[in-house]
Amino acid sequence: MNSAQIIIQIIVALVAVACAIPGTFLVLRKMSLISDAISHSILLGIVIGFFIVEDTSSPLLIVLAALAGVVTVILVEFIQKTGLVKADTAIGLVFPALFSIGVILISKNANDVHLDIDSVMVGDLSLAPFDPLLINCTEGIADSCINLGPKAIWVIGIILIITLVLLFMFFKELKVSTFDPGLAAALGFSPIIMHYGLMTVSSVTIVGAFDAVGPILVVALMIAPAATAYLFTKDLKKMLLLSCFFGVFAAISGYWLAHLLDASISGSMTTVLAILFLLVYEPIITSILVSLAIGTGTIFYQYYEYLVANEIGFEQLLLGEKIKTVFTQFVTLDYIYILVIAAILSALLMYILPKRGVIFGYYKVRQQKTEIMLLVFLLHIRNHSEESERHVKHLNEHINWQRIRSKSIVELALKNNMITVEDKIISLTTKGEEFTEKAIDYIITNKDTEIEEMKDDFFLFRG
Amino acid sequence: MEQKYAVTVDDLTVAYNYKPVLWDIDLMIPESVLMCIVGPNGAGKSTLIKAILGIIKPIAGTVSIFGKPYEKQRSLVAYVPQKGSVDWDFPTTALDVVMMGTYGSLGWIKRPGQKEKKASLEALEKVGMLPFKNRQISQLSGGQQQRIFLARALVQNAAIYFMDEPFQGVDATTEKAIINILKELRKAGKTVIVVHHDLQTVPEYFDWVTFLNVKKIATGPVKDIFNDDNLTKTYGINYKVSVQE
Repeated sequence: MNSAQIIIQIIVALVAVACAIPGTFLVLRKMSLISDAISHSILLGIVIGFFIVEDTSSPLLIVLAALAGVVTVILVEFIQKTGLVKADTAIGLVFPALFSIGVILISKNANDVHLDIDSVMVGDLSLAPFDPLLINCTEGIADSCINLGPKAIWVIGIILIITLVLLFMFFKELKVSTFDPGLAAALGFSPIIMHYGLMTVSSVTIVGAFDAVGPILVVALMIAPAATAYLFTKDLKKMLLLSCFFGVFAAISGYWLAHLLDASISGSMTTVLAILFLLVYEPIITSILVSLAIGTGTIFYQYYEYLVANEIGFEQLLLGEKIKTVFTQFVTLDYIYILVIAAILSALLMYILPKRGVIFGYYKVRQQKTEIMLLVFLLHIRNHSEESERHVKHLNEHINWQRIRSKSIVELALKNNMITVEDKIISLTTKGEEFTEKAIDYIITNKDTEIEEMKDDFFLFRG
Repeated sequence: MEQKYAVTVDDLTVAYNYKPVLWDIDLMIPESVLMCIVGPNGAGKSTLIKAILGIIKPIAGTVSIFGKPYEKQRSLVAYVPQKGSVDWDFPTTALDVVMMGTYGSLGWIKRPGQKEKKASLEALEKVGMLPFKNRQISQLSGGQQQRIFLARALVQNAAIYFMDEPFQGVDATTEKAIINILKELRKAGKTVIVVHHDLQTVPEYFDWVTFLNVKKIATGPVKDIFNDDNLTKTYGINYKVSVQE
């Protein structure tokens, strides 16, 4: 790792944390898309600032850009308050208008200066280490400046420190005004001040992150870590910490992914964020898919190198031959290893992550279905003292179940010591009686959720 | 001696987009009553409370709490918003929500400490929710959420309590539990003002009532003014209530 690489990583990590903090509150306030609006509108502020001072490094640009962000929010709310359109439409109306004015101004007047649309859209970090903050320059004398290191670190570092100080000072105010604006207002914590405070911090942060990731991907850095953390925890402080962690993780690993693929840093960071979210949301399927993708990618990369090494042009090979070469030469133990790693990873994720996703959902529904059937079965036994109703053979007819199902239910009940079978006649044990009675109680009193908790006390084996 | 009023509302008018929601309301609420505000949907019941608490700016009129403007008397007032007005998926616990009630006395920047935590735990115990203190709020039932809100108001230790439909979506047991706590508050000399929907329970629960439908129809002791005449004026249809003896 050379020093430029380290500097870029420090910058992306700082940007990630600075974005994750206001992002968490935006997600909780259901205002995620406002960050998108701000990130586009600030372009207008930057362009106007540039025309005033004709210098891309002036702090005035940051001030005007942040101002443009706040103006966006005010305009959105103004349109929304007319009651003619809803919030999302208002957002969709405001920011393209402001953004397009910025685009027109650039294309009309700034063709010859360094303000090109490309780097404005996705950001450009590769040159950040070589743009130092210089102070105390004496005019006319070269090298008279004091070099304070990369400017980007200073800008985003100061923004982050301000954000952190504000967060520590106003954490309780932010929390109460986000959760319950009515109470916050009644207690004298003006929700309007908190709202515009948060909007200002978001705008300034987006401006600071603008160079690094551009207006489109800065949204991902604000929203994705917070959304992922929200799936993980139900505690605001932990959510803030986790979203910072996810942001930094995605930033650093995204940087190395970009290095590996020789691709855009901001694009790679966002890809990692998306995978991270999917991994938490749908752990098993995502980990399998990611591993398969990595495995297949590795194989094709080896294949590509083989072709290059043997000076074989891709078009010289017939399709069948291509596949044959790939399979015979490159689907090796490596691929199997990757699949095994995927399986282990999935199992690990299943253990540590909250239980959710399609597979868990299916499993859970099946389990609950079996257990409710068990309850129905136990109720039937309890309600009938006559032996004919409790005979193993007659169960199918009476409850109208298929044989396999009846068998598995009876086995489950036996395993859990809830019934005994004597001479093919089923009776409830004391434990079975107790379980059934409690369950009915909860059903009658409408406390269905308690049944799930009670199951832990009774079941040795789940359905 | 002149009677002391907890809340005095003078010529209060509130409008949303030029349409008046409350029109020229005059209201004097005596100290130490358990009062309900009744009226049809859209009558401005919640708006009245919000305007008294300064959450909504009125276009005319004044409000005073024990003779002074609300801004100077915040510490004397507790507020329970409608349960549906907040996001119950917010990442926080029952105890934490109750602690929010202590924020007002703390003021800006200061953090809640052990004293506030102790008071919150006591409030949770009073509403029977202590076992759920660390429960994530989305895991609570509707009735439990309402109790948490009540505990949050109790922890404010105020002189006047405003509650916006505290019985909405709660079962009979919780309703009884809540009303008992409110009655205790009144016994302790507090003033409780509740937006209420169920006319049948008014005589049983409350001792003071305000009829509201954009304008104030009537206000006074339940036994004097809770009659068919006022109900008809408020709801616009012939109303007959069976007042329980």
